[in-house]
Amino acid sequence: MEFLIISTLNGVTYGLLLFMVSAGLTLIFGMMGVLNFAHASFYMLGAYIAYTVATTINFWLGLLVAPILVGLLGIFVERNLLRRVHAYGHAHELLLTFGLAFIFEELIKLIYGDFPVNYSMPDYLRFPAFTIFGTDYPFYRVFIGLVAVGMFVFLYLLLSRTRAGLVVRAAERLPVMAESLGHNVPLVFMGVFGTGAAFAGLAGAVAGAFFPTNPNMAIELGVIVFVVVVVGGLGSLEGSLAASLLIGLFSSFAVGLDWSLAGLLSWVGLGDWARSVGGLFTLTLSSISGTVPFLLMLIVLLVRPAGLMGERN
Amino acid sequence: MKGKTIGLVLGAAVAFGLPAGAAQAEALKIGIIESLSGPQTSTGRLFAAAAKFVVDEINKNGGFNGAPIEVIEYDNAGGTTGAADKFKQAVADGVHIVLQGASSAIAGQITEDVRKHNIRNPGKEVMFINLGAEALELTGDKCHFYHFRFTTTAPMRVNALVNAMKKAGELGTRVYSINQNYSWGRDMEEATKAAAKVGGYEVVATVLHEVNKIQDFSPYVAKIKEANPDTVVTGNWSNDLLLLMKAAGDAGLKVRFATTFLDQVGNIANAGNTALGHYVAHPYNIEADNSDFPEAYKAATGHYPVYIEPQTVNAVRTLGQALKTVDFGGGDIKVSEIAKALEKASLDTPMGKITVRAEDHQAVIPVVVSKVIENPKYPVDGTKYGFGVVEIIPGPDAIYPVQEACKMERPA
Repeated sequence: MEFLIISTLNGVTYGLLLFMVSAGLTLIFGMMGVLNFAHASFYMLGAYIAYTVATTINFWLGLLVAPILVGLLGIFVERNLLRRVHAYGHAHELLLTFGLAFIFEELIKLIYGDFPVNYSMPDYLRFPAFTIFGTDYPFYRVFIGLVAVGMFVFLYLLLSRTRAGLVVRAAERLPVMAESLGHNVPLVFMGVFGTGAAFAGLAGAVAGAFFPTNPNMAIELGVIVFVVVVVGGLGSLEGSLAASLLIGLFSSFAVGLDWSLAGLLSWVGLGDWARSVGGLFTLTLSSISGTVPFLLMLIVLLVRPAGLMGERN
Repeated sequence: MKGKTIGLVLGAAVAFGLPAGAAQAEALKIGIIESLSGPQTSTGRLFAAAAKFVVDEINKNGGFNGAPIEVIEYDNAGGTTGAADKFKQAVADGVHIVLQGASSAIAGQITEDVRKHNIRNPGKEVMFINLGAEALELTGDKCHFYHFRFTTTAPMRVNALVNAMKKAGELGTRVYSINQNYSWGRDMEEATKAAAKVGGYEVVATVLHEVNKIQDFSPYVAKIKEANPDTVVTGNWSNDLLLLMKAAGDAGLKVRFATTFLDQVGNIANAGNTALGHYVAHPYNIEADNSDFPEAYKAATGHYPVYIEPQTVNAVRTLGQALKTVDFGGGDIKVSEIAKALEKASLDTPMGKITVRAEDHQAVIPVVVSKVIENPKYPVDGTKYGFGVVEIIPGPDAIYPVQEACKMERPA
């Protein structure tokens, strides 16, 4: 019971964190179809900007400034770089954003050095939210979860309940038609890209205080955010949330379970043989928990290529 | 007109360049094949900076063989492929001694390349000084005459930790082992199990996890809590160590961490007061250094020696001691003679004496066990915390037996 509750809690908060980081990418990659490899770089920039503001002025101001600056940078990138290559298709967008990711990483190293910087939450946020089975549950994890839920609600309402959301969805589904109806489609794209980048910036500002803020943080999360969007289904906000939670829960439970192929085989009486062979047979699930998201992606793509809640194939 | 200028320049080069070259002795060339780009840049840069510091020192005192020692940096881009490529280039550039430290995988590649090169090119041997790769197989299965390791290994660090913590009464009887799932982590796990008898503890559980892929360590902390250990021994480095310690601190887990890389730059700043009271076994602690080395190093590089820098400095200084005993009279450099001299070299450091074990070319170096304390003489990372010395274990006591797998063929 204790294992079940603790693992679920850990899984849900980790899932929400993943959602927080990948929410912006759902907009950019999922809806606009732009393969933005620099997304995790926006996340990293958010963390570093927030760090700079937090150490000079105030932690909360950092949370405000980071998304604004990163959003503006996103708009700049879309307006001046991506728009030029958009007509040439995905490969060009991918190469461009891939290059940007390298440039951002090296810039960060030039300015802030190779080592992790000391970006941490203010001390008054460092307290346990509650204690369960003798384990403290840090408040900041709950805070991350709340930010993620807030992002989801905001994006969901924006897209489904407002006129702006209607235009965005129209511009993405049928750009030519939306344009002939008098909507400025390039402007919409620019806005969506900027919003996506701003969300990544906010995620960086919030998560950077919890995780080490270092020049590698973009590489560390760069792939997993794509996994979230692909598993959830392109363009589906709800799908992304579901995928994040699934990945969080699977990773969390995988660590606690010392399952191995040998254990499975002992059901048919081959356990001792498998253990004597060793190798792959005795590899426990916990030692490959980092692979779980990719395993999940593989299964989802095989069973349902459009993703959990995706509409397009 | 243009052609004339070029002709002039060429003429000048011939006039000044050649006679100078003929008069000059063969310079010793040291190639640093490090991770100077990619995720391991931070560590690679430190190795390179520390090695250069000592070479500058030697050059100020007249260099070697009548010429200043040349240092050439090669970027292996953090991978074995890059390292193999750059090793070929280094050989083409006439490098005599290769230095490398970040990553046992890359060291494994380089040491094999060096071994093969030396078999194929007798008389033109290249030597590899391993500054920081700790995988046991490098002085075991893969040992050969031209590889020297100037850092500790898992048993050296774990035994030192266990003994010092037991003496301090902070080890307890239940020990948990959590490590990264590759050669180093496995070495650590084995060493932790092997030291159980001496340390008088029981290894309650062992976990291996992927290297630097895990963002959330709270499930592992839940697992540790379930096993209820007194001490957690871990060889984790970088994010894997930081996230593990932070998650344990956030969960209010009351355990002591016995670590090997807690002194990595940025760790203490990031872990904050969660790091307080945890242990680390490392080859050097600045708090125990009363020499002028820390200030001299700061004057040259802008910071006090940190993390793997001191061990690198000691390695290259030991090489410097060895170079003093060989004399090629300004003629051709024979690397095999340098290697033989390095076997016999020794260096007195503020932590203790450093020698080289001839059987497997593992350096016999002292191990310092330290504990994170408040307000030390040298606080780290701009915090008020630093490493207080608990015990300094002299090299001969810290060393482990020669591995049977090492069958070294010595040159005639």
